Amino acid sequence: MVWGISLAVEAGSVACLIGPNGAGKSTTLNAVIGALPVKGGQILLQGSDVTREKAHRRVRRRIALIPEGRQLWQRMTVEENLLLGAFPKNLRRSAASFLERVYTMFPRLKERRHQAAGTLSGGEQQMCAVGRGLMADPLLLMLDEPSLGLAPRIVDEIFDLVRTIAQQGVTILLAAQNANYALSVSRYGYVMESGRIALEGPSERLRADDHVRQAYLGA
Amino acid sequence: MTFVDFLNLLISALLLAGTYAAMAIGMTVIYGVMKIVNLAHAGFLMLGAYFVYELHERAGLHPLLGVLLAFPAFYVVGVLVHWALGRGVPVSDKPTLASLLLMFGLWLVLQNIGYLVWGTDDRAILTPMTFATIRFGEITIPKIGLVVFASAVISLAALEFVLHRTWFGRSIRALIQNRYSCRIVGIPVERTARRTFGLGIAFAGAAGGLLALLYPFSPDFGRPFLLRSFVIIVLGGLESFSGVFVGSLILALVETFSIFIVPSSYQPAISFSLLVVALIVLPGGVAGFAARMRSRRAE
Repeated sequence: MVWGISLAVEAGSVACLIGPNGAGKSTTLNAVIGALPVKGGQILLQGSDVTREKAHRRVRRRIALIPEGRQLWQRMTVEENLLLGAFPKNLRRSAASFLERVYTMFPRLKERRHQAAGTLSGGEQQMCAVGRGLMADPLLLMLDEPSLGLAPRIVDEIFDLVRTIAQQGVTILLAAQNANYALSVSRYGYVMESGRIALEGPSERLRADDHVRQAYLGA
Repeated sequence: MTFVDFLNLLISALLLAGTYAAMAIGMTVIYGVMKIVNLAHAGFLMLGAYFVYELHERAGLHPLLGVLLAFPAFYVVGVLVHWALGRGVPVSDKPTLASLLLMFGLWLVLQNIGYLVWGTDDRAILTPMTFATIRFGEITIPKIGLVVFASAVISLAALEFVLHRTWFGRSIRALIQNRYSCRIVGIPVERTARRTFGLGIAFAGAAGGLLALLYPFSPDFGRPFLLRSFVIIVLGGLESFSGVFVGSLILALVETFSIFIVPSSYQPAISFSLLVVALIVLPGGVAGFAARMRSRRAE
């Protein structure tokens, strides 16, 4: 459950949602894409109200979610997983060129494109999940705990990747327990605690905030 | 048993397996996507038989053409049934009692409509093929068995193509594996489920038509085949397509070769025993067993 939260992500920038487990970060992202119902309030994408739109219509507006735990189709091949990321009819025609772009970004995925996604390592699966999100050619890309359960070296790679994607002009909303990383890649941050937004502000200012430092940065 | 007897039995078992696979696949597709145990499968098998029969008797249509027409006709029926009844079924990742009872009720209704329209008499579709045989030396193959097998294999190959090469097919397989991911990439889950239900019923109708070429039928036609379909998909692992082929093969072989051990009147008991054995020994079916072996090797 999330109550009366209000957040905005400026087009072309990176914003982050930090906070403890169960604070409502995932719930918020899932509500934005339409996988969870919204009881009240509004969701605006580029100014148009999508609150009542079903998920499959919202996705046509080129938003993508890279969910917590990756949620790949384990028994389908890497390539099938990626292709399904471009499922909406308006994206299918370009699926082949998006696929090439993802393969250029992740040569590893190209090598393994005929393998079942379930046979990849954790880091490769996360790449596949990111690739699937990019297949929607998103204007808004949401990442939910992209570093969970990955080795530190891979975590560095993932956050470098977030920076690269952001430089291409994609708007990013990042939810992470790893506040240190999340605040370092984002311009603006929201701190969620038990379903509410406890604090918000430019990421640099949040890094200096006493409460954030004590609770999330371990200082 | 001579070697020739053995070969003859083996061939008839293989032919039977193909037909069984076409019969059971509709149930697997529906279970996989919606977790609905479609007990009404039996009713649609029966209706498929009468559909082909009526087209043959009244319009003089070749039964195989009737089977081909059964696909679109029963697809529409399936979509309508899902539209009328499926809305009441809670969307679930696990089989629910509500959907089981609903489908059981639907079967009873279909069966009684059958009795109302066609009475209790057995019917059969007889064509010049019915009693023809093809001989290779001492091996005899019933022509109709071969034709039915070929039709079943062609329709399964077509399904395989749809499942792996089209967006609709990929979304079906994706729905079986992870419904949540389907939502977030924009697959319209409800619409896909409805079309999948149509696809499953289309295969039930067409398979009923194929079975009617092999056996006489009455409105109670589907009952023994429902049990067999059930055994097959449990053996196969419930939602695995390749599991269906293996399950069909096992059932057909066991049924065919068991006539040496038990009288043929006990045949239904064979499939039932196989179901019990499968549930005890292979709870995940062949597919579950294969997955376990793979993960053991990976360790």
